[in-house]
Amino acid sequence: MNDRNKIIYILIVLINITPYLYVFYDFKKVSFNIDNAIGFYPIFGFIACIALIIIAKCLALILKKEDTYYD
Amino acid sequence: MINNLFAHPALPLVIGSLLIFLFKEKSNHISIISILISLFILIFITSNVDYVYMSNITAINYFSYSKLAYLFCLVFLIMGLIGKLFSIYRDSYKEKAMVLLYISSAIFVLFSGDFLTLYIFWEIMAIASTMVIWSNNSRESFSAGNRYLVMHLLGGMILLLGIIGLYVDTNDLQIRLLNLDTWYNWMILVGFLLNAGAPPFSQWIPDAYPEGSYSSTVFLSAYTTKTSVFILIVTFAGSHVLMLIGIYMIMYGIVYALLENDIRRILAYSIVNQVGFMIVGIGIGTELSINGTAAHAFSHILYKGLLLMSAGSVIYMINKRKCTDVGGLYKTMPITAICGIVGALAISAFPLTSGFISKSMIVDASIHEGMELIWLMLLVGSAGVFLHAGIKFPWFVFFHKDKKIITTDPPKYMKYAMIITSGICIFIGVWPELLYSILPYSVSFIPYTGNHVASQLHILLFSALAFFISLKYLERTLTITLDIDFLYRDKIKYIKILVNFMSNMTARSINYISFINLRKNFNSIENYLMKQTTVSVMLIIILITFTVSLIMNIS
Repeated sequence: MNDRNKIIYILIVLINITPYLYVFYDFKKVSFNIDNAIGFYPIFGFIACIALIIIAKCLALILKKEDTYYD
Repeated sequence: MINNLFAHPALPLVIGSLLIFLFKEKSNHISIISILISLFILIFITSNVDYVYMSNITAINYFSYSKLAYLFCLVFLIMGLIGKLFSIYRDSYKEKAMVLLYISSAIFVLFSGDFLTLYIFWEIMAIASTMVIWSNNSRESFSAGNRYLVMHLLGGMILLLGIIGLYVDTNDLQIRLLNLDTWYNWMILVGFLLNAGAPPFSQWIPDAYPEGSYSSTVFLSAYTTKTSVFILIVTFAGSHVLMLIGIYMIMYGIVYALLENDIRRILAYSIVNQVGFMIVGIGIGTELSINGTAAHAFSHILYKGLLLMSAGSVIYMINKRKCTDVGGLYKTMPITAICGIVGALAISAFPLTSGFISKSMIVDASIHEGMELIWLMLLVGSAGVFLHAGIKFPWFVFFHKDKKIITTDPPKYMKYAMIITSGICIFIGVWPELLYSILPYSVSFIPYTGNHVASQLHILLFSALAFFISLKYLERTLTITLDIDFLYRDKIKYIKILVNFMSNMTARSINYISFINLRKNFNSIENYLMKQTTVSVMLIIILITFTVSLIMNIS
């Protein structure tokens, strides 16, 4: 098993714990209406990261050049 | 009463940098002792306002004390001390002297009371930092330092025009809160923002900083951008345009860092990203957000220094700077890896680290002001920081594919420097009250609430999942990403296009008069122009800016 798979397994274990974090979460003190929903932060964080990676890859199509471009 | 000149915490550093040129062998001792004297003066004399004689007799007010300046000066000196410990093995007395001058000019800017003093030390800071970059003695560092200097002189000139406009119009040069209602205030803002790495010229940070030596990057990352954050807090707090600029910087840093291959350049992009958070905080402009910005600058300087020290150790030990060349170093460099991971957790605002207690203040300030869109963008930024600096840096350097590189941890003083900084990062995160007590406004903020910790852990864990799921697409390749600098960096490109066009046209039109070898002549012109462009570009920029200012003042 390589490092990446090991870490994914650890992460899956950790992520299974995350719902219990809602024990500490006070739904009366939410910031806006949007973060009142259970699972807002995990889903938002995940989608944001995937979106950032997609944006980066799209930019790379235009802007990526060889290492020796300026030499 | 002590005269304010002798109570100035920057003065020992200036003397120290001069002494280094006299006693080259003792450069480490002189550096560390002069920083310690500065710290003593700052904590025991300067902060005790009764001791310091404030003079308002002369028009030039070169010393003015504020709580905010004290905070920034304190972290500048702490980082200077740690950086000096880290760079003990660096064999270049010039670099050590210039670093001291660089720190002292940054501190002079912090304590300057009027715009003229600020401008003078602003320029000294630009020149001293260029010298620090040049002290790496390589072709790349020389040309990168050149581009850096031109960029900063341009920014300084815009700033100077703004200051002249301010003086002509209001006859008052004291540093104070400015409104964005006149052209000269805009010019001052642009001058300051250029030093903070604002768009469209954010590019100079990842261009210049990684070309310094393994030790000088630690200093470079700390002073220039944060001085400009300080002066923006003092002059433009609450200007809403800064929020948009900050959001752009956050996103720019993430996207470009994701595509980058050079280890230190990844970290340089994350400087832009983190300064973006601070600029958003300045734009919000409430007491909470200003406190958050100051606290974030404090913790940012330390954890960024830590990250760059761990990257610097890798470069010092194995002399490789690309993600594609390193990997699996946690087995051979365990202490460097642990310290790097602490820095990475701190930059991603993991609970119990310094980043968490400062960034949540800025995020909370946006909530208190009811700015939902800004808040959402800050959340995207928080997730993205973990993606590009929090995991990407340690993963590709210390884990990933084991390249079987034989090496060890760096020598002892470099290790001590990293361990001390990691300790401070965790200490501030666990006991934030100490940092909160020296913030400019009184703090009633509690970082460790259930909502803060739960939401932050949720975001971080799921961005980690996103990173490892899409790891295949994030594999590094031997490439660079073009930025705005391709407009001015490759000047010869334009000349080549022009010469090719002209030679084609002429060759066609006088096709059969082939006894003149036109192409050869054009080549010699091309070479001549290439030598002249740096100077001529500068001159043209000066002429254009002065013409514009003349036209604007013509009524």
